[in-house]
Amino acid sequence: MEAETEASSFESSEMLATFLASTPLLEESWKLCHHANTALVQNFVVNRVGEVTYVAFPGVQNVGGANCCSRDLVALGTAAEGVFTAFNRHDEGEEPVMVHAGLLQLFFAIYNTQIFRDKMSELVNESKSLVFTGHSIGGAIASLSALWLLSSLPKTSLSTAVFCITFGSPLLGNESLSRAILHERWGGNFYHVVAQHDIVPRLLFAPSSPFIQQLHSFFQSRHLSLKTPYHAQLAVELSNENKAELFHTVLACLEANSGGVSDLERSPFWPFGSYMFCTDRGSICMDNATVIIKLLYLMLATGSPTSCIEDHLKYDKYIGRSCWQYLMRTSFTEGSSIESSYEAGIALALESAGINSHELAYGLAKDCLKMANQVGCRRNLNNAKLAVGLSKITALRAQIEWYKAFCDDSDDQMGYYDSFKRRSASKRGNKVNMNRCRLKLFWDKVIEMLKTNQLPYDFHMQPKYVNASQFYKLLVEPLEIAEYYRSGMHKKKGHYIEHGREKRFQIFDKWWKDRKVGEEENSPRSKFASLTQDSCFWGRVEEARDCIYEVASEMDMGRRLLLLEKIEMFEQYASRMIDRKEVSKDVLAKNSSYNLFVGEWRELKSHLQPWPLQFTSFQDGGNMVP
Amino acid sequence: MVGEKVGDITGLSEELILKSCKLAIKAHEKFPGKLYIYEKNRGSTDVVFAFAGSWLVDHWYSRKPFGETKVDASKFPSLRSLGSDEIALVNEAFSTRFEQLLIKSSFASEVEKAVSDRKQVVFTGHSSGGPMAILAAIWFLEKYVRPNIYQMPPYSVTFGSPLVGNRIFSHALRRENWARYFINFVMRHDIVPRIMLAPISSTEQGLKLMHDFTSPKSQSFQHVPIGNSAAAPAFFLSVMRNASSVASHAACNPMGWTNLLLETVSCFIEISPYRPFGTYIFCIGNGKLVVLDNPDAVLPLLFYCLQLSPGEENAEFLHGIFKEHLVYESELKESLNMQNVVYIKNLIDIPLSSDAGTNYAAATVNSALNDLGLSTRARLCLRAAGELEKQKLENQKRVDSNQDTIWEGLRRVQEYQTNCEIRKIGYYDAFRNQRDANDFNANVKRLELAGIWDEIMEMIKKYELPDGFEGRKEWIELGTIFRRLVEPLDIANYYRHLKNEDTGPYMVKARPKRYRYTQRWREQAEMRSIGSSSESTFWAEVEELRTKPYSEVKDKVLRLEGQAFAWIRDGILGKDVLLDESTFTKWWRALPVQHKSGSCIASYLGN
Repeated sequence: MEAETEASSFESSEMLATFLASTPLLEESWKLCHHANTALVQNFVVNRVGEVTYVAFPGVQNVGGANCCSRDLVALGTAAEGVFTAFNRHDEGEEPVMVHAGLLQLFFAIYNTQIFRDKMSELVNESKSLVFTGHSIGGAIASLSALWLLSSLPKTSLSTAVFCITFGSPLLGNESLSRAILHERWGGNFYHVVAQHDIVPRLLFAPSSPFIQQLHSFFQSRHLSLKTPYHAQLAVELSNENKAELFHTVLACLEANSGGVSDLERSPFWPFGSYMFCTDRGSICMDNATVIIKLLYLMLATGSPTSCIEDHLKYDKYIGRSCWQYLMRTSFTEGSSIESSYEAGIALALESAGINSHELAYGLAKDCLKMANQVGCRRNLNNAKLAVGLSKITALRAQIEWYKAFCDDSDDQMGYYDSFKRRSASKRGNKVNMNRCRLKLFWDKVIEMLKTNQLPYDFHMQPKYVNASQFYKLLVEPLEIAEYYRSGMHKKKGHYIEHGREKRFQIFDKWWKDRKVGEEENSPRSKFASLTQDSCFWGRVEEARDCIYEVASEMDMGRRLLLLEKIEMFEQYASRMIDRKEVSKDVLAKNSSYNLFVGEWRELKSHLQPWPLQFTSFQDGGNMVP
Repeated sequence: MVGEKVGDITGLSEELILKSCKLAIKAHEKFPGKLYIYEKNRGSTDVVFAFAGSWLVDHWYSRKPFGETKVDASKFPSLRSLGSDEIALVNEAFSTRFEQLLIKSSFASEVEKAVSDRKQVVFTGHSSGGPMAILAAIWFLEKYVRPNIYQMPPYSVTFGSPLVGNRIFSHALRRENWARYFINFVMRHDIVPRIMLAPISSTEQGLKLMHDFTSPKSQSFQHVPIGNSAAAPAFFLSVMRNASSVASHAACNPMGWTNLLLETVSCFIEISPYRPFGTYIFCIGNGKLVVLDNPDAVLPLLFYCLQLSPGEENAEFLHGIFKEHLVYESELKESLNMQNVVYIKNLIDIPLSSDAGTNYAAATVNSALNDLGLSTRARLCLRAAGELEKQKLENQKRVDSNQDTIWEGLRRVQEYQTNCEIRKIGYYDAFRNQRDANDFNANVKRLELAGIWDEIMEMIKKYELPDGFEGRKEWIELGTIFRRLVEPLDIANYYRHLKNEDTGPYMVKARPKRYRYTQRWREQAEMRSIGSSSESTFWAEVEELRTKPYSEVKDKVLRLEGQAFAWIRDGILGKDVLLDESTFTKWWRALPVQHKSGSCIASYLGN
């Protein structure tokens, strides 16, 4: 029941496809792809229409040494060093971003040519908007080109808009690629057009089979036959048995991948971006990967061994049709008795997807459209709920602020950090600790929702959350550090910054770093900041103090020297912070850990007198200071 | 929904509508060179001003691709979104023609006379004369009705008019409750009301065709040269294709939810900014009239009504889209006489398929939708528009339920203010020092109130509340009290934490929407200039001034003193700012003696 009410009462998958089809983008892209396929284009072809420049890669590629028929994946970060910078890093425990080895090789064959490089830098400089496009394998190369440009643009000051439209493209990468694209907010930059029964976009769900090589030669010869009648005579024919086996293998594997019960191994390949499915009766557009796989399966199930091959060559017809579809009023034949807007919308979408109500697949397809709708709605609802949650936790935050002010003015002169770290059982301290935990729960939930894709794509760009998370970090991370050292965790796990810092703070660091900043005048501060601007400051203090203890017991001169260097580095860093008044006044409280450090360090130095060492490696040694 | 008369629905008599129609067509056909013609009969209670249309491309588009520009804010101060201060966009060519009308003709003085004679004023126009009538009516509303609620409002009645402004235009007219004075008649197949949905590049030829078709001197008068030119079908196709873009784009994004695909695509293509507003009366051609007043429903209708049925792909249909632009007078004579009117108010429940309808009312609505040629997809769009309106009303209800909590919170802050005053300290300074548990509690209240208001502001920004929300008296009042009472606390907090050193002055960088928007509400409601109701930011001004040497900010000090004097005199600013220990008092006393002796607030602060 809950799910019912959460769903939007209108189905928009068809409307989105209609919108795209009514723009010139789809038609112009296909025109150029068609040209690239038929005009013996070598690598790529460029065409400018108004403000938009189109770059098409032909579907027939000189495959050469590249093995396009296997399912081998390579990690994009390592295999393409420095080209796809956005995918270099990956999180522990997650599979690295990987793409099809053969397709990547094909991309590099083009990427490494001087003509491609020259043309790209020319286009990027001259054109405000670039569309990469391609049919079949050309589509995969278009995707890689778009990924490459999207990852390299931030390094330039250019603001070229990049879009990628593929027609019948094979799958390109694994689920991590799909997730990484979502995280970069590039999901909307990829639009994959898939004809009703086209086998190629579905091929990689199946393990490689000898037919695939044959299929490739078949398509290649069919493409060539379009150009010259001479080739037509040479056309490779696939036997009916081959077609049937291919069709049934792919269908079975797709079923397994779309959640059906099966012994078949799941394919590592995963769709990304939006998919537009075209049939004789219309088109629909989806962006939920699970739903896309399911539709790939259900729609293929309505096809036949012949149509799955033929459809790969029928984009001309499908695109032409969907671009003029708007002109005609279409009558609605299915379920004319439906009264609910939502059900009617779904029925229309399924009719466009070519799935009839009397077919077995109808119920399944209906469920998966509903699921996609709910996921989309839930994102927005979650966002709205979080906004309420955020306003509720501000009171907790205010209490901690109040506590900080109390500590900073307190007679024991320990300051915020040390008061909390060395607190005795008091109502006030407990309450603050409780608030710390509740805030932690809130933000962990936010991050969990973001990770599982339950929030709008631009969530981490909303100033509201960027500011709130930064403020939270500055205010509460000192408490986290205090708790860490208070409970002796550093003895078990190692120092906070390297071993104890929770992931959420790193994520908030990134949000803050990536936020859009206007031109702000940076005049020097007149008073100490109300919160220390480096939230790990206390962690560094603890480490420095630890070093001092170690120095005392360290006999090895080399290591001793390193420790001293580290302490010296910290001291310089801290006094810079203090000079710039970037610390809060609790740092300078008479009995604060920092002042203890200063005392201990002074003492240590006096024992070391006369200063025995020349620290030559200040600038590049040590990793304590950012 | 059924059986109402056009006169009852619009508030304008059928007789006057017909008279307007006649005059509008006359202006267009007989007096194309004149800026306007008007008709007033001795003894009549009304005056009708009619504007001639034109087919010159320059009179339609000022530049590529859609020729829109910001409205002249001095003439049309209401045409904006209040809080976010987004100014409405208008077709520049139309607005320039209207400017010319004011400058070069006696139009303004004729209107003035009609007003002083207490006549009902009607502006009317056929074709591109329509936008003139619309702009004239808005100009009239701003000039005569806004300052004087007793002034009889004007009407704008258009026939086959192109679209004039963007969605902010429509939003603002609905907020001011003026949308009902705009009545637009559209023949089902007339292409002209759809033209502005397409860019100039694809309609330039079409405007020439229209010119030839409609001018008696031309060879192709009343005759489209379909046989020897592809221009007519190309014109139709490109208008339809662009209309499809606009309609489907609007339907994808009903609540402004983020969709990355739409966002990316919008960098590649430009979509017409123009949107319908006011009451639309579609003439089906068989004497039947269908009335709608939800602009979100009218937009898809403009597209779907013109879709082809199987078998309609012929020259006759193409001829119709031109011809129907010229038949308004005869059509209205018939239909206003027949009064076969269907007013579709309840969009949510319209039947989805063409054979539905068990009871009389549903069957009537259904037959009207069938006459308009609406497919199930089109009907779903109408329902979505209805659903959106309903959702906005529900949001408003939910927002309204917060009023008590807000009042309660304000009462607490007021108590805090009073308590501080008893202790001889202004609540601004007390809050800035945060020494006492009371100060802390006030801070919690401030944050709670901010949470509630921020959510409302977020909804306003996303247009998730009814268009009229920002013009509602109760909220303007509540917003003003809230702003005056709580904003000083926000400022105190800001400067207490020295956020100005991180982010810059409060006013420039950090003033929350909850105060900016509410201030604009009041300014609009009381017809004050933008920025004039800034009393709640008094302290921010003080904080900025006191860090700077007197010589640098002398002018600003003088201005602030002048304002403060009036605010304190009028009781808008509390007397607690003048307490001995107040930051303001201390700063002011430290100003140079010669300044103080001449200051207007010296009497308050004495010596």
